[in-house]
Amino acid sequence: MSTPLAEAATPLFEVFVRSKQGLDHKHVGSLHASDARHALTLARDVYTRRQEGVSIWVVPSNAITASDPALKSDNFDPMASKVYRHPTFYDIPDEIGHM
Amino acid sequence: MTVTELRLNVVSDATLLTLADTCLLWGHRLSEWCGHGPALEEDIALTNTALDVIGQARALLQLAAARRGDGATEDTLAYFREPDAFLNVMLAALPNGDYACTVARSFLLSAWFVPVWASLAQSADRPLAALAAEAVKESRMQLRHASDWVIRFGDGSDESRRRIDAAFAGLLPYCDELLGTPVDGTDQAARTLAWRATVQATFDTATLTQPISVVYDANLLNITASESRVTLLAEMQSLARQHPGAVW
Amino acid sequence: MYTQALDTAINANTTTVTVDSFQKTFLERIARDEKIEPQDAMPEAYRKTLVRQISQHAHSEIVGMLPEGGWITRAPSLKRKEILLAKVQDEGGHGLYLYSAAETLGVTRESLVDALHSGKAKYSSIFNYPTESWADIGIIGWLVDGAAIMNQVPLCRCSYGPYARAMIRICKEESFHQRQGFDIVRSLCEGTPAQKALAQDSVNRWWWPTLMMFGPHDSDSPNTEQATDWGIKRISNDDLRQKFVDVTVPQAKFLGLTLPDTAIAWNAERGHYDFGKIDWDEFWRVVKGDGPCNAERVADRVTAFDDGRWVREADAAHAAKVALRNAQVTATV
Repeated sequence: MSTPLAEAATPLFEVFVRSKQGLDHKHVGSLHASDARHALTLARDVYTRRQEGVSIWVVPSNAITASDPALKSDNFDPMASKVYRHPTFYDIPDEIGHM
Repeated sequence: MTVTELRLNVVSDATLLTLADTCLLWGHRLSEWCGHGPALEEDIALTNTALDVIGQARALLQLAAARRGDGATEDTLAYFREPDAFLNVMLAALPNGDYACTVARSFLLSAWFVPVWASLAQSADRPLAALAAEAVKESRMQLRHASDWVIRFGDGSDESRRRIDAAFAGLLPYCDELLGTPVDGTDQAARTLAWRATVQATFDTATLTQPISVVYDANLLNITASESRVTLLAEMQSLARQHPGAVW
Repeated sequence: MYTQALDTAINANTTTVTVDSFQKTFLERIARDEKIEPQDAMPEAYRKTLVRQISQHAHSEIVGMLPEGGWITRAPSLKRKEILLAKVQDEGGHGLYLYSAAETLGVTRESLVDALHSGKAKYSSIFNYPTESWADIGIIGWLVDGAAIMNQVPLCRCSYGPYARAMIRICKEESFHQRQGFDIVRSLCEGTPAQKALAQDSVNRWWWPTLMMFGPHDSDSPNTEQATDWGIKRISNDDLRQKFVDVTVPQAKFLGLTLPDTAIAWNAERGHYDFGKIDWDEFWRVVKGDGPCNAERVADRVTAFDDGRWVREADAAHAAKVALRNAQVTATV
């Protein structure tokens, strides 16, 4: 059985992959690595084994600041009433065609 | 020789097999790690190297088999030749040892393969040149992966320093044979210089101080390496030889 | 990729949901097919169930590398060697995706791996059977991966976002695994009589353990209802098992292999194949650690982990040195 000696945790990185030139980098998962450089090389092996990407970003997971889910309604619900921001809010006569 | 003369040289069967067998045996050793790597991420990364190298071996053996034209295939060459017929460099056949040895071997071999492939990519032998042009990219990644680890081990903990020193002490003696292995249509002297520069630069960053030229007992090394090859092939060829002529 | 319905270990008290408003709102969200994300509030029992299930799933991937890994060096052709190597590597990748998903629930990978090594955590029992021949590599891909896919496709719609996303990625990669297995078996069945015999012997050994992968009968799975309410389980063990038998019987027929169950027969009334009784004593024996290879598998993992410790420590030591040097450079500038 394993030695009970607890090992220090290896830092966690979030991995973002640009699947093809012209598209955004998209979050694909995470991995453990000693530092950012190492994380980048490992991300290539772990997350692009089937040519899933042309570019990779790695970000230390603890560097991400996230919005508070408890404030989700306060944060985002107020936008629901601003329907006039959407093009579908406006009626365009058929004669005008595409606008 | 001038560049033009080099281009006109046809690469011999012996050279093809030297490269193929080296990749095959090295790839086999790397594949032994699959599922047993020091960390999950590293397990996956090392297996990518194994896949690259075995892929190179297959492509080279296909070329070699096609040249023979006697019904030979990549598999008859890999599975039905006797150990003595293999032309690999000795370094490729040695057992893995610990992770320091594995990484050190990959480092020494890929530092050699990068210039080999780069030269062969210019070969007049079209299929081989195409293969080499792809392989050089893979070898550069392998070199980067391995040299990163050499640096981490050399400049890491006391234990890793001890282990990487021991690994190179055991493997550097095999490098005379590696550097002395002719590859048709390439400049051996230039390659040796490039190899030494690569190795020395990584050693410096890794704070490793042992000299990269080592005096060795060729006989003793030969015995160890050929015994390793016999054991390796006995395992690799066992199933295929139980079913001669079978299609898998 | 392999899951087994191992939801049999849930502590009884986790299955009673107190109907306070939080729990009610939570269940309503799931009923609306809303995904739960890491930062969201969630019932502790939901979190615990997920940690257990996702980590068992991850362990299954990692342990699952071993029985097949042993044949990489003996693969009978270079093409098969490459394919198997890539497949076993994928399983490592799947383990990694799943550990990552589990980590979003506030546990560390170290603690999960430790639970595997100390024998506290379970993994799919199928990996406690030995791989005795090359045919087993084909049969594992065809049957075991096939069964796993059946288990896993519904998990792509699981209520927990990171798990569902990991499963989507895994299922995409997994279909290659089943196909390569089928391809191996097919080559054996179309090969020499000796090759065909290898395939038949392998099916005989793996068929029943594969059926066990779907877990106990629904009537013996008291937690299915809770897992269904939580959107963690979408289809019951018995339904998935039936589905698997229904697709596999014709495939075996195509290959000319006999499934080791004389009770298999088409039941026109049910619109399904009938099949025989599973030996649940064997199932529980292997789950509880008394399978042919339980001790060997865990020992193998522990050895790899222990042998790798100095590598991980050196990696950390080097990273710390570099960070320190960079800090000193910054300080002096």
